[in-house]
Amino acid sequence: MTVDPGRIDELRVRFGGSSLNSRRVEVASIEDETEMIFQRGWTDGLPVVPPTASRVLRMLEGTTRQPDEVVALVPPNLVECTVEKVAINAVMAGCRPTYLPVVLAAVEAVCTDDFNMHGILATTMGVGPVLVVNGPIAKRIGMNSGVNALGQGNRANLTIGRAVQLVVRNVGGGRPGGVDRATHGSPAKLSFCFSEDEAGTPWTTLAEDRGFDRNSDVVTVFCGEAPRILVDQKSRSAESLVQMLAEGLRASISHDVVMGMDGMLVISPEHMARFRDSGWDRERFMTELAPHLMIDLAEIQLNRSGDLGQESSENNADLKLPKFRPGGLLVVHAGGSAGLFSAVVGGWLNGPMGSEPTSREITP
Amino acid sequence: MDESKTGITLLDPTSESTPTKRDLSPRSASIGGLTIGLLDINKPRGDVFLDRLEEHLGQRGATVLRFAKPTFTKPAPADLRHQIATQCDAVIEALAD
Amino acid sequence: MHDIDDLERRGIPSVMVASEPFDEGAKAQERALGLAIARVLTPHPIQDRTDSEMQVIADEAIEKLVSALTQS
Repeated sequence: MTVDPGRIDELRVRFGGSSLNSRRVEVASIEDETEMIFQRGWTDGLPVVPPTASRVLRMLEGTTRQPDEVVALVPPNLVECTVEKVAINAVMAGCRPTYLPVVLAAVEAVCTDDFNMHGILATTMGVGPVLVVNGPIAKRIGMNSGVNALGQGNRANLTIGRAVQLVVRNVGGGRPGGVDRATHGSPAKLSFCFSEDEAGTPWTTLAEDRGFDRNSDVVTVFCGEAPRILVDQKSRSAESLVQMLAEGLRASISHDVVMGMDGMLVISPEHMARFRDSGWDRERFMTELAPHLMIDLAEIQLNRSGDLGQESSENNADLKLPKFRPGGLLVVHAGGSAGLFSAVVGGWLNGPMGSEPTSREITP
Repeated sequence: MDESKTGITLLDPTSESTPTKRDLSPRSASIGGLTIGLLDINKPRGDVFLDRLEEHLGQRGATVLRFAKPTFTKPAPADLRHQIATQCDAVIEALAD
Repeated sequence: MHDIDDLERRGIPSVMVASEPFDEGAKAQERALGLAIARVLTPHPIQDRTDSEMQVIADEAIEKLVSALTQS
């Protein structure tokens, strides 16, 4: 989409030309359109592909949905966002038309009350929507679930995540220093999107775990911070590895945070091999992990009561609670074939006070 | 005259809730007593035009300060714009052709 | 145009003087910037004028300039 195809007349015929309702903004020939877009505040700080009518029409070929169909009310301004507006921002993010259905489903997911994009923007914690794509569409559009899956280098991963953020910025009006009050922010607020390595896992997929059919195309959005590496290069057994992963997970966000914030564990292929070799499936893994994630409340209170001037409660002396609420740890398989690392993505306030992980089926 | 040609047209990616036009800065009733900056964009003959304007403005009770851009091909440097904005009540930029 | 736009954003009433053919480009940029730029037009061309011709052009422009910088 970075090359204007010059097919605009043909496309105008097909779409009737007037099907695009967005305001036209002319760029004077003496002006650089990229600079003008920066000046207007339409970018996330990186250059964008200028959204010409021709490019937007081509983008709209990626979906069967009508340009004027309302996709969602986008926070923070709760503005009606049409398929056309999503397409414009997808062009700017650098998407191919084949990515558009994923972007549309992800926009729907982040704009639900459950996911609470407004709160995610407004919080001082540097969290943002983390997108995980499941189903055949991931391979078909060239998403990366392998080497450097959470990093740079793959157009689909990066531009899909970026398009969602641009919709929130441009349509919803959510901008740093405005509604967005993040203390530090995070690279994850620019684009954090990857697909699960489904072929390489003996387990059910994240989408299956969340009630979808394996052949369905699904995007799951999770409110998370940047990924943190969990190193374990010594465990030879599933029992040892699960214990080591739990040590890392217990520290997610803070040792003191118990049940109040979710997490996402991204297991690498070499770590997954330990569980495969031991015949553990997803259920067995979660069952074995659970006791290692029990937190002794007395221990936390002992550490903290002095500073906050609170009396340690005798009643809690023997109380243990799980690090994550039921369903509060999402587990995904992704990463390169070499590397005895996994990764944890810490979450944010969960439940009605915060954000619920949300999944949406991707439709054409 | 490159300036007379228009460039490409983009589609607005925003909700379009912001007005297309911003209003101009509030104006005074008259120029008497104002400090008016004359910004020369550095095209030939512009200085003669500005010299004459300076005479006219002086006769109407305005104080005139003169500024010049290094080149007419680019916007004025930020430092210069800041200097003008802090020293002047109004600005005339000339002469683009 | 950017200079005027920037100065107006800073709250400084500003006007530009341009020769007539410049107006078309100025209008396009005006739409892009989202600001009505105050401008006063002069005859074209400028660069081959004598001093006295330039002074006449200035004499003809002054009223329009004053009115562009004051409440009209």
